[in-house]
Amino acid sequence: MILQLLANGLVAGCVYSLVALGFGLIYNTTKIFHIAYGVVYIIAAYLFYTFARVLGLPLVMSFFLGLVFVILLGVAIEILIYFPFYQKRASLGVILVASLGAYILLVNLVAMLYGNETKILSLGIEETFCLGSVVFTRIQLLQVVTFLIVFPLVLLFLGRTKLGRVIRALADNPSLVTVLGIDVRRLRIYIFAMGSFLAGLASCLVALDVGIDPYAGMNVFLIAAVAVIIGGVGMFEGAVLGAFILAIGQNLIIWQVSAKWQSTMVFLLLILFLLFRPEGILGKRQRLEEA
Amino acid sequence: MSINLNRGDTIAHNKNLLKEIQCIFKPNNTMIKNYCDIISESSNISPRLELKEITKKFGGIVAVDRASLTFSAGKVTGLIGPNGAGKTTVFNLITGFLKPDAGTIYLRDHPINGLPAWRIAQLGIGRLFQDVRVFNKLTVLENLLLAKKDQLGENPLVSLWQRKKVLKAEKKNIEEARRWLKLVGLEEKENSLAENLSYGQQKLLSIARLLAGGSEILLLDEPTAGINPQIAKSLLAIIKQLSQEGKTVVVIEHNMSVILEISDWVFFMNEGKVISFGLPEEILGDPEIRKTYIGI
Amino acid sequence: MNYILHILIMISVYLILSQSLNILVGYTGLLSVCHAAFYGIGAYTSALLMTKLGLNFFLALPLGVILAMTLSLLVAYPSLRLRGDYFVLAGLGFQIIVFSILYNWEGLTRGPYGIPGIPKPGLLGLEFNNLPLFLLISSIFAIVILFILYRISVSPFGRVLKAIRENEMAALALGKNVSNFKIKAFIIASGIAAIAGSLYAGYVTYIDPTSFTLDESIFIMAIILVGGTGNVKGPIVGTIFMVILPEILRFLGIPDTIAPNVRQMIYGGLLILLMFIRPQGIIGEYKFE
Repeated sequence: MILQLLANGLVAGCVYSLVALGFGLIYNTTKIFHIAYGVVYIIAAYLFYTFARVLGLPLVMSFFLGLVFVILLGVAIEILIYFPFYQKRASLGVILVASLGAYILLVNLVAMLYGNETKILSLGIEETFCLGSVVFTRIQLLQVVTFLIVFPLVLLFLGRTKLGRVIRALADNPSLVTVLGIDVRRLRIYIFAMGSFLAGLASCLVALDVGIDPYAGMNVFLIAAVAVIIGGVGMFEGAVLGAFILAIGQNLIIWQVSAKWQSTMVFLLLILFLLFRPEGILGKRQRLEEA
Repeated sequence: MSINLNRGDTIAHNKNLLKEIQCIFKPNNTMIKNYCDIISESSNISPRLELKEITKKFGGIVAVDRASLTFSAGKVTGLIGPNGAGKTTVFNLITGFLKPDAGTIYLRDHPINGLPAWRIAQLGIGRLFQDVRVFNKLTVLENLLLAKKDQLGENPLVSLWQRKKVLKAEKKNIEEARRWLKLVGLEEKENSLAENLSYGQQKLLSIARLLAGGSEILLLDEPTAGINPQIAKSLLAIIKQLSQEGKTVVVIEHNMSVILEISDWVFFMNEGKVISFGLPEEILGDPEIRKTYIGI
Repeated sequence: MNYILHILIMISVYLILSQSLNILVGYTGLLSVCHAAFYGIGAYTSALLMTKLGLNFFLALPLGVILAMTLSLLVAYPSLRLRGDYFVLAGLGFQIIVFSILYNWEGLTRGPYGIPGIPKPGLLGLEFNNLPLFLLISSIFAIVILFILYRISVSPFGRVLKAIRENEMAALALGKNVSNFKIKAFIIASGIAAIAGSLYAGYVTYIDPTSFTLDESIFIMAIILVGGTGNVKGPIVGTIFMVILPEILRFLGIPDTIAPNVRQMIYGGLLILLMFIRPQGIIGEYKFE
């Protein structure tokens, strides 16, 4: 039993990692608390659903179309909302409220268009595989494989490519980047494109598994944010660590207590970390004034 | 062993004394430290604030490197050095906004490392920030009224239950605040929002606010920057007077004529270390220091 | 006529909620997104004490307030030392935990089934069981609370809160124990939100967790952002505007199925627009800058 739960936790961790990576990418570099990330997440799945089930296009094509459009959406949010605020030198509080506004606006648009019920994308009874005493579905395998391919690619990108290094620099030292004359506007567009891509990827994988509803986005955003914080702010790898901790923790709660208390566990964990180790597991200790 | 270091004495006399102790003009931390210890023990000078072997690192950079400094009551001590020498960091360390990685800071012989910033301010250390930090959307008067420590009305229950008492205290506070405003010439602007003042006026406001707090130890970070020369002059007179009343004044300045005019003595820092200590004329006259500072 | 009375009662309840949130957001500059949680704690405590223990409304209300204040201390103490984003996240977390408890702990709160049969407030034989009487009592509460909050805002305590909002470091340098002040502001705001909760429970006589969600917190936040933060007039304007807005929408004939969504969309759009064009709200004095 516990092995199965651990396995489920690991699989969930793979999906959470993608989301956390995307959120962390945006947060560490632009410092924007991108609450609207939650709605970008769900829109990817809804687009996927629309192309595949409403328009009847082939699954793989729908998947790619959904990703492309959601990347455009994420970039649009940056261009239309965040960047103008950045130019106005608005405070992070203002941007946060605007992000919240965007989230509310778009979530309700989706709810209005598609209704509140869960939309399912799966293809009937799922094939299962056995690894010892542990059972995996085909989708779960897909989720793990996707993570195993994408995560190293992201790390390679951040570590080896020029753009990746500039992004890392932006996370470490934002003022330095502007001084060096790098086009921050374009950089931010790339960052939001990548972040939205990761969210969309995770979202479609989950939609194939359990479907999508308009309110899943907030939970996903919260998990991503908490994962980034407990893993270690400023460290992209930390987001992944945090994501796995949360996923496994959630599955343990389901086992020991009840599925109802999952969100509570996520936040209790957050509060514990904020109390005792606010810089996260991998983060570097920073006093308020030094930040 | 008692040492009388006074500005009135001839430079030569002091120089001989200092040569005896052999710690001036030599970039040697231990000797500076010894010198400061000697000042501590001398009879006619009472240090209020001492930093012993303070070190602060940011990542790989050592911002302050085993610095020892002593600031005495009744004296104005200048703190000079090129940009990045660590002077403002020293202020941040003293006021508790940063914690030293090593060393101890003594306020009247009590260590104050690790105390929260507000507590250190309550203990009598006041600070003038380099970037003026007035409360923008509060009026000039309100800015000053905040300076007073331990106000009765700052407890919400008290301000509701004991209104009369609180109003009385407020009245007194307002009277005193108005006096400070008059001193710096801002009495007309009492009800203007702080953000609507010019930079120079905001600077004066922050100075008035600092003085209204009644702190015994005043850390001034570039007090005359951005103020017109006339006002700067009266400001310096006020600073001088405060030190004569027994306050401990420390001034970071890039304007050397200011240093010459009001400092009793001067610490010179560079790259986080305390390099020299001595009388203003000597420090500023020293060719090595001039080279470091000005580059010629 | 009943309709108008109902609107006025809701305005008085939301006035209490928005004015108390204003202490945190407008005066102290703390972006709290868990106000509805304390609203809910007040409502549920009151409802449970009145239905299960038969306590009088005027006894249940203060108990709800005390519980809310105690819990707010628990939240405030760890989270107030944190940077802005973390504080918001902690607030979100608390909001979700409270909702989760209200929804899932069925043994205590009857979960999604809610608590029915809450008696109307009564005192010495007089029951406030019709609309005009209830409006009387809710207005009295609102006016008294407004008065108290006004007094606080012009007191030295309120002055320090504003200073913290303007420049926290400078406030520390003046010897103000900033964390302490923030915690006090939090406790006061939460206690007052609980009062609104008790009033609401006594008015609608049936409550369930869906009235105390994150959406509700955001609605209260929107009220003060629209009307204006940082002074007492702003939330008054904001409350009237935001309570009446849905009624106007109803007159426009938007179908009931999508009306809540349209409402929320307007709130969302308003928030974005406001932050861009007029962060200080209609007549506020503090811009979120």
